[in-house]
Amino acid sequence: MRSPRLFFLVVLLAIVAAGTWYYLSHGAPGASETIPIYYTKLDGKTLGEMRVSMRPRQADESATERLHNVVLYAAVQAIAGPPNDVQAIRFPPGTRVLEANVNGSTASLDLSKNLEQQAGGTFGENGEFKALAYTITGIEGIDAVQILVEGNRLETLPGGNFELDQPLHRSDW
Amino acid sequence: MSWINRFIARTGKLASLLSPVLAALAIALPASADSSLTATYQGHAIRFTHVSSRAGAPAIGVNDPGFATLLNDAGALLTWKPGERFVLITTSVPLVVSFAIGDRRYDAGPISLRASFAPFLVGDEAYLPLREVLRALDLALREANGVAVLQPQLATLDMRQGDSRVTLFAHGGAMLHARVVQESSASITYAFDGVGTTLAGTRQVGTGGIASITIANAGTLREPSTLVTIQFESGTIAEAPQNTDGRDVLLVFDVPASANPQQAAAEEASPTPEPPPDTASASGAASAPASGPAIVTGVTVEPAADGVSVAIAITGSATYEWHRLREPDNRFWVDIENAQLQGPPIDQNASAPVLSVRVRQVDPTTVRVALSLSGPKSLAFTSSADGLGIAIGTQDVADELRSGSGGVGGANAAVAVAPLEQSEPGTGSSDDTSWKFGPRSGYVANNPRLIVIDPGHGGSDVGTMHGGVSEAQLTLDMAKRLRAILIDRGWEVKMTRESDVDVYAPNDSPHDELQARDDIANKAGARLFVSIHANAFINSGPYGTTTYISKPDDVAFAHFVESHLAADGTKDDGIIKSHLYVTLHARMPAVLIETAFLTNPGDYALLTSAVWRQKVAQEIADGIGQYAQAYPVPNQPAQ
Repeated sequence: MRSPRLFFLVVLLAIVAAGTWYYLSHGAPGASETIPIYYTKLDGKTLGEMRVSMRPRQADESATERLHNVVLYAAVQAIAGPPNDVQAIRFPPGTRVLEANVNGSTASLDLSKNLEQQAGGTFGENGEFKALAYTITGIEGIDAVQILVEGNRLETLPGGNFELDQPLHRSDW
Repeated sequence: MSWINRFIARTGKLASLLSPVLAALAIALPASADSSLTATYQGHAIRFTHVSSRAGAPAIGVNDPGFATLLNDAGALLTWKPGERFVLITTSVPLVVSFAIGDRRYDAGPISLRASFAPFLVGDEAYLPLREVLRALDLALREANGVAVLQPQLATLDMRQGDSRVTLFAHGGAMLHARVVQESSASITYAFDGVGTTLAGTRQVGTGGIASITIANAGTLREPSTLVTIQFESGTIAEAPQNTDGRDVLLVFDVPASANPQQAAAEEASPTPEPPPDTASASGAASAPASGPAIVTGVTVEPAADGVSVAIAITGSATYEWHRLREPDNRFWVDIENAQLQGPPIDQNASAPVLSVRVRQVDPTTVRVALSLSGPKSLAFTSSADGLGIAIGTQDVADELRSGSGGVGGANAAVAVAPLEQSEPGTGSSDDTSWKFGPRSGYVANNPRLIVIDPGHGGSDVGTMHGGVSEAQLTLDMAKRLRAILIDRGWEVKMTRESDVDVYAPNDSPHDELQARDDIANKAGARLFVSIHANAFINSGPYGTTTYISKPDDVAFAHFVESHLAADGTKDDGIIKSHLYVTLHARMPAVLIETAFLTNPGDYALLTSAVWRQKVAQEIADGIGQYAQAYPVPNQPAQ
């Protein structure tokens, strides 16, 4: 009699565990964090803000990796910009984040060469980098962002006026 | 076996109780073997070869060539590389959908969702839940009779209510076009050909003149169509659909007043205002009068609490400019202008963090103090009446500034007594004067009568081009007009270019080209630097004149120039602080004026008018004159 009771107990525990797992994995998502993503409005200087969902830190995600992931995510969001029905200064089509790194309090973003396809004039460059710098420096622990293009640190974009050689801070605007 | 029977008898539902366990095991087990899938999208077949499944749902590998084709055709971008936890897809909306390896939760813009299974790795390749990816792209996988189609969907139909109209925003996974197929006094039906939908059903609205919205699938697997029927109240008028040649269509309904009760309009929330910048005041200062050469009497290197202190003893007034090379070359030097070295050159070795010190008279008016450091150390400069102090830290620092300038002796003292320029009358909003600025440099112009004018672009770089007109042509024309006015008013003028040429060399790097323009002004010791440009954008919307600046010295100058340009006939966009090369590296007060937008029809008409260009030149000259009056220095032309 003892052995069947033990088996029953084990099976019951397994069922409870499986049920709990099933409920947790199929239930509604828990509360997410949101982070602000900035874009520059068409007046060329005012920033708009949109908030996007950001998954909570996972159990096996170290603080270092978490910061890296948040920077990467925020950068991709800022490069994408708001939905098309929102009037905003936008990065050139096809611009993508190739890599994101964090060194101390400076984030480094390696962007694709599409970035160089600017419309011309200071208007676009200024608005794009202002929004990106505000977005990335809005992340706790980051106060500057260095822009790279295809792995290279550029002084300016071709035909451009904006200096990219130094990390960008909010105080640059 | 009796214990099993007893157990079954006690529960009576063994199978049902075990089913969650079995389901959990099925979900947790590794994905099934890879297979392939061929589906038609926009008329052509795409073969997916990195296909797997988990929990009965299909998974797609991110390295699948077919998947890359699909993303490209759908205008989406993938951000992922091996080792990254996040797999990000930017759709054409744009909307960033964020998956993470091992996490069923995924984020789509502002909301968090749960996928049918967590993305997983097979070797170095990430596999994503295909249905959720397709949903993000506003597509659905439909299959019938062995045929699979990636069918674009009418993905959203959002209603926004204004004061006298209701707008339905339709968005789809392909170019949308609304076609009216039925219309009466109480309803209208639109057909969206080419898209299916998962939104089928009827939604009762009962507000804003709209009674209900019914969405239904029509068409075939390969040629889908979605019908949207709007039932509305009497008096409501349906405007013609606003097809945008894109993935969005606006359906607008003019609503009678009786059907529009006062309620909170469901309009799009306006974005949060810009975070307020710090409100450190921007100070302006008159340049100190030039005097006889300063004397560098010695350089000492002494240990300090947190590094080393270098003291450059200087008698008299001088300005200095410093530069550092980029790691691994950890040298930096300070050029003290308008200075003479007393005694022989100095060559001195030291211990870390300063490895050596060299002091030379590098030209008749410049003393250079060059230091070699043991790493990218922090530098802090302190000016005083006795000279220049440099505190060099022991810790390596990342991304330190690589250049700077300032004044010592009398030149430094001039900063302290200079009048503060907080806000000038008629110079725009108060926000424009509240940037985060450090102290002014104390720059002293060697030639207080000299203005350097920089016509933007030229030669191999035409700048922006529109309607056959190049920015380089226009800026040169305006610069020449400005030069004529300034010379007439007694100024000396140097142009960075006087014809359609590169200033440094044809096809040179942007850095060399821009630095060459600054070099002309810096070497000449000019009083002011004016860079003239024409703006552009990807569409014709933006217009106006903007005065850009970068450093504290620029603020007062910019205000005077901008206040005159405000009347140039286009919109005054004021002064914008930015990180622009020529204004950052010009040692004197500098502005970069984007006179107007070549890409805006109204501004284009102005830019191509010689009368307007003359007017702009006149206004810049007036701004220069007014600045010179407000901040006079000896030997400047009478204004």
